[in-house]
Amino acid sequence: MNLFSILKSLTLKELRGGLAVTGRYLFRKKFTVQYPEERAPMSPRFRGLHAQRRYPNGEERCIACKLCEVVCPAMAITIESAQREDGTRRTTRYDIDLTKCIFCGFCEEACPVDAIVETRIYEYHGECRDDLLMTKEKLLAVGDKYEAQIAADRTADAPYR
Amino acid sequence: MVNIEINGKPVAAREGSMLLEAADEAGITIPRFCYHSKLSIAASCRMCLVEVEKVPKPLPACATPVSEGMKAYTRSPRAIAAQRSVMEFLLINHPLDCPICDQGGECELQEMALGYGNDVSRYAEAKRVVHSPDLGPLIATDMSRCIHCTRCVRFGEEIGGMMELGAPGRGEHMHIATYMEHSVDSELSGNVVDLCPVGALTSKPYRYSARPWELQSHHTVSPHDCVGTNIRLDSRSGRAMRVVARDNEAVNECWIADRDRFSYTALEHEDRLRKPQIKRDGVWQECDWDTALTTAVEGLKQFAADQLGALAAYGATNEEHFLLQRLMRGIGSANIDHRLRQQDFRDQNEQGPYPALGQPIAALEQNDAVLLVGSNIRKEQPLLAQRLRKAVRGGARVMAINPVDYAMAFTLAEKRIALDLVSELLAVAKALLEGSSEAVPQWLTTAIVGVAVEESHRAIAGTLRAGKQASVLLGAGAQGHPAAAELRAVANLIASLSGAHIGILAEGGNAAGAALAGCLPHRGAGCQASDGIGLDWKAMFAAKLPGYLLLGVEPEYDCIDSAAALQAMQEARFVVAINSYASVAMRDYADVLLPAATFAETAGSLVNTEGQWQGFNGAATAPGEARPAWKILRVLGNLFDINGFEQNSAEEVRAELEAACAQLPAAPAAWQPKAMSRLPAGLLRIADVPIYAVDAMVRRAAPLQTTADADLWQIRLNSVTAEKAGFSSVVEARLIQGAGEVVLPLLIDERLPDNAVYLPAGLSATVGLGGGFAAVELTHA
Amino acid sequence: MSEKMIELLSGESRADIDRWIAKYPPEQKQSAVMAALRIAQEQNGGWLTEELIQAVAAYLAMEVMAVYEVASFYSMYELKPVGKHKISVCTNISCMLCGSDQVVEHLQQRLGIKLGETTADNRFTLKEVECLGACVNAPMFELNKNYYENLTPEAIDAILDGLD
Repeated sequence: MNLFSILKSLTLKELRGGLAVTGRYLFRKKFTVQYPEERAPMSPRFRGLHAQRRYPNGEERCIACKLCEVVCPAMAITIESAQREDGTRRTTRYDIDLTKCIFCGFCEEACPVDAIVETRIYEYHGECRDDLLMTKEKLLAVGDKYEAQIAADRTADAPYR
Repeated sequence: MVNIEINGKPVAAREGSMLLEAADEAGITIPRFCYHSKLSIAASCRMCLVEVEKVPKPLPACATPVSEGMKAYTRSPRAIAAQRSVMEFLLINHPLDCPICDQGGECELQEMALGYGNDVSRYAEAKRVVHSPDLGPLIATDMSRCIHCTRCVRFGEEIGGMMELGAPGRGEHMHIATYMEHSVDSELSGNVVDLCPVGALTSKPYRYSARPWELQSHHTVSPHDCVGTNIRLDSRSGRAMRVVARDNEAVNECWIADRDRFSYTALEHEDRLRKPQIKRDGVWQECDWDTALTTAVEGLKQFAADQLGALAAYGATNEEHFLLQRLMRGIGSANIDHRLRQQDFRDQNEQGPYPALGQPIAALEQNDAVLLVGSNIRKEQPLLAQRLRKAVRGGARVMAINPVDYAMAFTLAEKRIALDLVSELLAVAKALLEGSSEAVPQWLTTAIVGVAVEESHRAIAGTLRAGKQASVLLGAGAQGHPAAAELRAVANLIASLSGAHIGILAEGGNAAGAALAGCLPHRGAGCQASDGIGLDWKAMFAAKLPGYLLLGVEPEYDCIDSAAALQAMQEARFVVAINSYASVAMRDYADVLLPAATFAETAGSLVNTEGQWQGFNGAATAPGEARPAWKILRVLGNLFDINGFEQNSAEEVRAELEAACAQLPAAPAAWQPKAMSRLPAGLLRIADVPIYAVDAMVRRAAPLQTTADADLWQIRLNSVTAEKAGFSSVVEARLIQGAGEVVLPLLIDERLPDNAVYLPAGLSATVGLGGGFAAVELTHA
Repeated sequence: MSEKMIELLSGESRADIDRWIAKYPPEQKQSAVMAALRIAQEQNGGWLTEELIQAVAAYLAMEVMAVYEVASFYSMYELKPVGKHKISVCTNISCMLCGSDQVVEHLQQRLGIKLGETTADNRFTLKEVECLGACVNAPMFELNKNYYENLTPEAIDAILDGLD
């Protein structure tokens, strides 16, 4: 330890330097977002809670091609398919286990009909594991509720896809 | 050999072979759609265009014969440009519906498009839309996807023997269709699903249920006929999803019958047993395995050993047959039988070790003269019929002596349609002896006295004798005949007189394995003499045994004499059924139901008609608490405290059986009939087992039961017989056979001989009726 | 069944077909299929019924589908009833370049039907066919087995007016 550093310690130079920074920011304009009163801006590509979409005529989009299931790196998706009475290919089961999902968005990218999408919703919770297993009904319900936002986001992102 | 050069690599090609075949043999891949090694060359897809030196235009490799010094380039810029152009053309009209297409993921067009297609199509005009015909319950169609390779058309023409699909129209209007939109009824029709390179023809039962990448493939063997067809069973999380063909040149080439392909649909039938059940005071109760097995053992122990009988299904595995007979013999009873579709056992001691074809399956194609005796080979062993068809296309003469003029997929050179098969065979034997001084046994000399020989008998005899490689094949109609022993004896002599092979087209799936495993009253495993000769099924039923152990059989369906079987079961005091399914009747007569796994869910092996052992492992998970039957039998053996039930795997059981079969005894001396048995007079019933009624599983395969081949719920007569009996204009008739009777629509069928009534066995309508070639009465309904 | 089918062909037709069969080796009976179909068509007033196709198949021991393939391939065989006068307009490349579009337009307007249709009074059938080999004098059509070439609207009117 030399004389210079002893002096620096005794004069509290570093403490004062630090407090100066604190003082400076105390009087500046704040940039902290006051969640939940305030929200951070969001990209249309935000990858939040999943939803299943429908066509405007009410028909579900999903055709049970199972590409999302096979691309899912976390193996969070389970699909069973069958021929519906009208002859079309449909899912009889479409589950996403949110406890497994890593929100990578691959399912959305793989989907040839834009049926499975990730919405801007990130505030959801479950009180038990069951609550975090999104069944086909739950996914469609999310889709129905937020269709306007989902469609707007797809349109905004369309030029880059 | 012709020396050519492909991509600069010297290749020696067979003379007359095509460039594409030479390239395949040299390991050089050329893309293709319409080419198939088993079908004729169409050169219609043009995907295999390659550049050949000194030829101005690219040539289709599949239709370009090799010639000395030829230099071909499959990957040159010109060849690739040609291939890419063809791909662009093919994709012009191909719909972009891969995500919903069942072929997606295993589609030849999809794969080729990855290598030769463009990312974006230049074609913006409207695509062709083609009507998709309904081809019946087995094949789903999406004809807009068709790329006109015509593999399916050529299959029908060349392999299936019925040109059901065709390509009418011209140019852009060409499409694949049936005439006047009827269903495709061939028993091999499912193969077009495997052949179609795109998703135009797909499997209807499998439709939309899974994707290829989710499936786990298991190599297994079909137990529905004696061919031992190699199949691949694909399952998804333990559930069988579909069956496709597996190549084995020696057995089934690349084809499988519809029965092999679609029987898996019965695996989840509602009749399927999922838990052990015992009947207490007439009420079925589900219980655990311990209770069920103890109840079964206690119930069987109440009778003396020789009061117990065991019946096994033809299609059970070798291991199951082996353990069943070991269990029964361990208990002290030799009353074991699996030959439920036969009724004549007089020559059982003189028969060979197992019912054998007597030649490799592949050698059937090389025959130039074949005599079928009592065989509807096309429906009984569709793939053997396919081999014979190939022989016929090569110039062979196939002849038949049958009780019904069965529709074959080839033209019969000669045929004799009669109920009295013995006399017909004797006439052929007599024709063979005309002008010959060969020594024959005394009984034959006596038997042929007074037998009328017609020109067709002489033709059959002459053809057999002239054949370089000739065969006499006995089918299920002969095996199940009341005078089967005589038929076998005369047929053996005909074969030796004419220098032909004798072969048996065994009924059921594993008759050879059952015989080798000793599931017989008179022989143990490996044809060793049985300690104590037991009763065959007829004798068991006649002796009114009180206790039965059933392995995989539903006697009222599987036994040729359904009436006797049903009565025996109902009169028995204790019946234990180890079975995968329970019929209504079985729930009535059985006392313990032990749920067994089917062939798809167990490990085991089968012996096919040429004597080849083929092993397999379980491909799907058995439902509920069902267990492999060999394990059930093993535990039963332990509970009876019998030695020899310590095996831990099916392989160990098989090893024991194989050791027992290592040294098979030589065929014993021929059986000598005393006098020829006569058929009863009057109306006789012909009761063969239809293609989709052969075993419990096939009978429950819903798609197969809706095909045209399953539409047999009629009483059939020819017009002469109908006229004589006064039934010409009757819509419905009542058939009375012994105590059983049934009312069914009446159908005039000219394929039948006079005095014959045709009503097949193995249908729920015919449960409770007697066997074939027996007298029946016909009355107005 | 097949014998009954064969009876649909009249005795004359059968004799006619036999003449054609005789031109080929006995095991190549099917070579006569095109002639047989033409004869059957003429017997039935210009078109082939499904039963007639089956009859030809039975007569020549061919698969029905194979006969149907032939019948549907060539535009000379009709699978639907046709009118008294059958006009087959060539629209292949030579005729198209020389104005077959106007020919079709004019015919459609004058007859009041579209390609492939028959007039309500069963007098005219209009159909589009592939090249008939008369490119030298395109555009052209075939009317009742006669070729009419170098067509203009006036020429067409004159031809049609001259028909009964």
